[in-house]
Amino acid sequence: MESLWILSPALAAGAAGVFFLTASFTEYISLPELADRGEEPQEGESGSRTLRLSRVGAPALGALLTAAALAMVVAWSGDGEVILFHLMKDVPVYFRIDPLGRWFVTLATAVWVPVGIYSIVYIRREGGEKRFYGFYFLVYGALVCLYFAGNLVTMYLFYEFMTLASFPLVLHNGSREAIMAGLKYLFYSLCGAYMGLFGIFLFHHVFGTAAFSPGGILRQEAVRGQEELLLTAVLLLVVGLGAKAGMFPLHAWLPAAHPVAPSPASAVLSGVLVKSGVLAILRVVYYVVGPEFLRGTWVQYVWMTLALITIGMGSLLACREPVLKKRLAYSTVSQLSYILFGLAVLSPEGLVGALLHVAFHGVIKSGLFLTAGVFLHCSGKTEAEELRGIGRTMPTTLWGYTLLALALIGIPPACGFVSKWYLAQGALEAGLGVWGYVGAAVLLLSAILTAGYLLPIVTRGFFGNGPAPQTERQEPGAAMLLPLLVLAALSMVLGLLPGILTEYAGIIAQSTM
Amino acid sequence: MMTECGMGWRDIMSMAAGTVPRGNIGLVILVLLPFLMGAAVYGAGRAGSQKRAGRGISRAGRLLAVCAVTAELLLVLCLAGFYFRHFQGMEKMPEYSVPHICGLGLRFCMDGLRLICCVVSALMWFMTTLFAGEYFARRRHAERFYLFLLWTQGTVMGVFLSADLLTTFVFFELMSFTSYVWVAQEENVASLRAAETYLAVAVIGGMVLLMGIFLLYRELGTLEIAELARAAESLRDKRILYAAGTCMLVGFGAKAGAFPLHIWLPRAHPVAPAPASALLSGILTKTGIYGILILGSQLFHGDEKWGRLLLALGAVTMVLGAVLAVFSLDLKRTLACSTMSQIGFILVGVGMQGLAGEEKALAVHGTLLHMVSHSLIKLVLFMAAGVIYLNVHESDLNTLRGYGREKPLLKGIFLAGALSVSGVPLSAGYVSKTLLHESIVEYGGGGMFTILEWLFLISGGLTAAYMTKLFVAIFVEKNGDGARQASYEVKKGYWNPGTGFALTASAGILVLWGLAPGFTMDPVAWLGQGFMGLKESGEQVAFYSPGNLAGAVVSMGIGAAVYIVIVRGILMKTGTAPGESSALTGPVRRFFKWKQPGEYVNPWPAWLDLEELLYRPLLLSFLPLVWGILCRLLDSALDLTVILLRRTLYRDSPLPRERAEGNVMTAAAGHVLNGIQWLGNHTWKRRFPTRRDYVHLAAMKHARLKEDGFIIRRSLSFGLLLVCLGLGLTLLYILLG
Repeated sequence: MESLWILSPALAAGAAGVFFLTASFTEYISLPELADRGEEPQEGESGSRTLRLSRVGAPALGALLTAAALAMVVAWSGDGEVILFHLMKDVPVYFRIDPLGRWFVTLATAVWVPVGIYSIVYIRREGGEKRFYGFYFLVYGALVCLYFAGNLVTMYLFYEFMTLASFPLVLHNGSREAIMAGLKYLFYSLCGAYMGLFGIFLFHHVFGTAAFSPGGILRQEAVRGQEELLLTAVLLLVVGLGAKAGMFPLHAWLPAAHPVAPSPASAVLSGVLVKSGVLAILRVVYYVVGPEFLRGTWVQYVWMTLALITIGMGSLLACREPVLKKRLAYSTVSQLSYILFGLAVLSPEGLVGALLHVAFHGVIKSGLFLTAGVFLHCSGKTEAEELRGIGRTMPTTLWGYTLLALALIGIPPACGFVSKWYLAQGALEAGLGVWGYVGAAVLLLSAILTAGYLLPIVTRGFFGNGPAPQTERQEPGAAMLLPLLVLAALSMVLGLLPGILTEYAGIIAQSTM
Repeated sequence: MMTECGMGWRDIMSMAAGTVPRGNIGLVILVLLPFLMGAAVYGAGRAGSQKRAGRGISRAGRLLAVCAVTAELLLVLCLAGFYFRHFQGMEKMPEYSVPHICGLGLRFCMDGLRLICCVVSALMWFMTTLFAGEYFARRRHAERFYLFLLWTQGTVMGVFLSADLLTTFVFFELMSFTSYVWVAQEENVASLRAAETYLAVAVIGGMVLLMGIFLLYRELGTLEIAELARAAESLRDKRILYAAGTCMLVGFGAKAGAFPLHIWLPRAHPVAPAPASALLSGILTKTGIYGILILGSQLFHGDEKWGRLLLALGAVTMVLGAVLAVFSLDLKRTLACSTMSQIGFILVGVGMQGLAGEEKALAVHGTLLHMVSHSLIKLVLFMAAGVIYLNVHESDLNTLRGYGREKPLLKGIFLAGALSVSGVPLSAGYVSKTLLHESIVEYGGGGMFTILEWLFLISGGLTAAYMTKLFVAIFVEKNGDGARQASYEVKKGYWNPGTGFALTASAGILVLWGLAPGFTMDPVAWLGQGFMGLKESGEQVAFYSPGNLAGAVVSMGIGAAVYIVIVRGILMKTGTAPGESSALTGPVRRFFKWKQPGEYVNPWPAWLDLEELLYRPLLLSFLPLVWGILCRLLDSALDLTVILLRRTLYRDSPLPRERAEGNVMTAAAGHVLNGIQWLGNHTWKRRFPTRRDYVHLAAMKHARLKEDGFIIRRSLSFGLLLVCLGLGLTLLYILLG
């Protein structure tokens, strides 16, 4: 019974997903009929719209809120654990709720709900709403299972499942470009996951199938003489799982997949899904191997170097990218490596900074993708240069964008500043010598570049004269605007009052070191 | 279900309960009030914007804004009274801390220097807001300007009241962004470009400043300004401290307009609306100076290397600003360059504080008083320039010529500012510049300092020269265009009462401030010196002693020479006045004929511009190109590898081709026969070549055979045949067995 309780959010989301997917078959059936009828008459448009809204939107909203509420209640009503079944002898599928999982599930829910509401209107134009919501819920269910996973094998199972379930979100619009990008996403994710799997195999004879434990479960005497093998396994895991988190060299899927996916899908992809790579690395390093084992080894330095390269590369390429969504994708590449760098320095402040940045970047980046979606949806503009003068027609949206951009750059009092503060302090306090200074400098250099690629849209949007200055408003409806503004407000409020978050992240960090 | 590892909502609530602010609430009201009022003014100002076709701001909004700045001024004065009553001369300071905001919490406090800065900025905001009423009466986006005007006041108050560097940084960054809107307000090409530069410098400076703060926190473990000095002294290895200090100097110096990050200043100040230029020049640059003062007086207290660095920067800024101002042709740009130069003077003062050690009272007082004087001066001058701009809508000196001939009040106000900034005796600028000059002279220090002293005097002279140039051009000379001059001299009101009051009152304060230094300046200097580590009340300096007057006279002499030789000689094109018959030639003739319409020219080469020459190409073209290529390579490293592997090692094997007919064997046989046929056609059957496709024939044959076989296999006789064969074999087996 308890198993049902812990997994109830996942079950609810999964059931909703299956329901929508089953229902989506009717979309295919009715497609030829629609084509026969040609253009729908104009006057019937609004009527059919409300009808379709109630048919897909209402159940989707209900399921979304139910799953989210269940997830929150389950996560915050205390610890619990359950073994669902044994995959093989001694290989249990094991779930446990712990502070780290709670942190991630809260973030995912905080992003999933607003984006879900936003998509009700957005996806209606794209078509295939039922299919979209089907996979949207399946991914959420997989994520909850991933966050609550209690050992490596369980985590790996749901990691792969999440990849597969999110794949259709990328190729939603079915164009050739989208399919190629989706395949690239699949290729990179699976390659990365197999590298990780190889690492897990190497782990097996050392750790067996022991459950995660804060601070690691490694006994030094058990691996005497095999340290190098274990270190190699850790590097394989970090690089392989880093594919999901967009770490160089396996990052190239991110800028390909984001621009073609529908905006809400990019929002959750960038805001939440890529963080599962972070979670996986966190589990491996801080809950299996233990930070003590890695400290000062070559693996740590390789990892830090890769993260720093990614930070600089992502920011710079974002500066040179004209398409807004692709620019945001490169920005994600760079920002995710802030987090990985915070993990790599292996100091409590670094871990706190990384956890904070997981939450803050999730909120900010999903908000930014939603604004990009609004620009695309309401004015059909995709390139940054086309957005000149957009502030005249969509001032509220651009204000939301402005707040989010300031938060991502890390201008106080917005939230990006707080996480950057902890990350830099973590780098400096970790006793890495010159690496700490280089790390902090790269973080700030990247912040300057972040300003360079985000702010021109604000300044040109508000102050630049567009080619044809329009004066009438084209703001989207409340269903699209509100989620975006909620995320923007959240990015400010979390920066002003990060006390609760920093303390909770501090507790997680303390328990692992 | 709760275990030790988990954490429920009760723990969360108890954490949240720790965020209780405490202290003197007045300080935080001072910071928050403008933010709240700004939003209110924006809302009220938009009322009825349809009726005004989006221009100007409603009367309610304007009134509310004036109320807001008045309230702020009164609040500052109340706090000042409170401070004098309870805290004067004590170690303790009124404080206010808000824990957990932005991570580490914000902390505010009040002491002498902070009080002075707050009073000056509240006064300046009061005057400029009065002035803005007329300036923005019919301009577009006026309510937006008011919003950011008030918000910036809140941020500036936050910077000045900050008790730790994190708070300073938070408000410093906010200030950069809110004041950005001032620069971009006019939305024309020049202002957008200037705003772009401003923002770039602000962001880069801000991040470098943050790097310095990181390093400082790492080294000292505290960011509280009052504790920096003690923590820095106990540090043995000071290398990181110097690195931190340099980073922070870059950040604060960029805002102050110090060389080499001054590039934004001469561009941004002129394009901003006049009330904003007054504030940008008068007070926003001072926030940078305030930060540099923190560094100089807390971190590098009496540090000689630091002092020399600042002296060098200050000297370059001082001279460069003055030279640019002499060349400049634009009224507001000249004033902006003048600001840069005066910031150089202040930096020299800060540098001398570091060098002079125990004898630094002169430098401390000079720095402080010059900060205050310069704020008041630029308030008056920029508002006067704003009045002129409002009437003429031009800022070019040749157009403005003769504008103020018949306007005695405006002339007097401008003159008060001009005399003061030039450091003429009996003015505010004289006192502070004398103090700074004295601090250099008293330090002695040999050759370098003699050069510094002369640079100081020459800059003072250049200041006098460019102010004379402005004054003469606008208020003495006649315009070359007779019709224009006539339009200038039409008697009509050129300002409304609010503006008139703001300008006259500001000029009055400036004159009073300078006339009686013993009553006004000395108490202020003593009030503020505690921040710089001066305890004793100090002796009165005889400002009008012959030695001190001599410095001013030398400076004025240089100024006169520069004006006659350079401004009237080189920077003016000869006017061909009718009926000219003088035997005098060259500069002398031009000087005596100076009421003749000539034309001011600016021979400064256009390419000689640090921003265009170095920063923009470097940051916008060169670095992105080089790093971009590198990053693009890294970005596609894996994709390229995959492509390379597919072209070489993992070449895709060709798919099994679907044959139209036949199978491998028939195709092979057919090809062989075709080969033989080809051979035959070329040798023995050259006469009668055959043209048969054996591949096809073989396939046909094969198909027919296959069909035949199929039919045979299915036929009754084939079955019977097999049965017979089987029976035969059985028989054979029995017979043989």
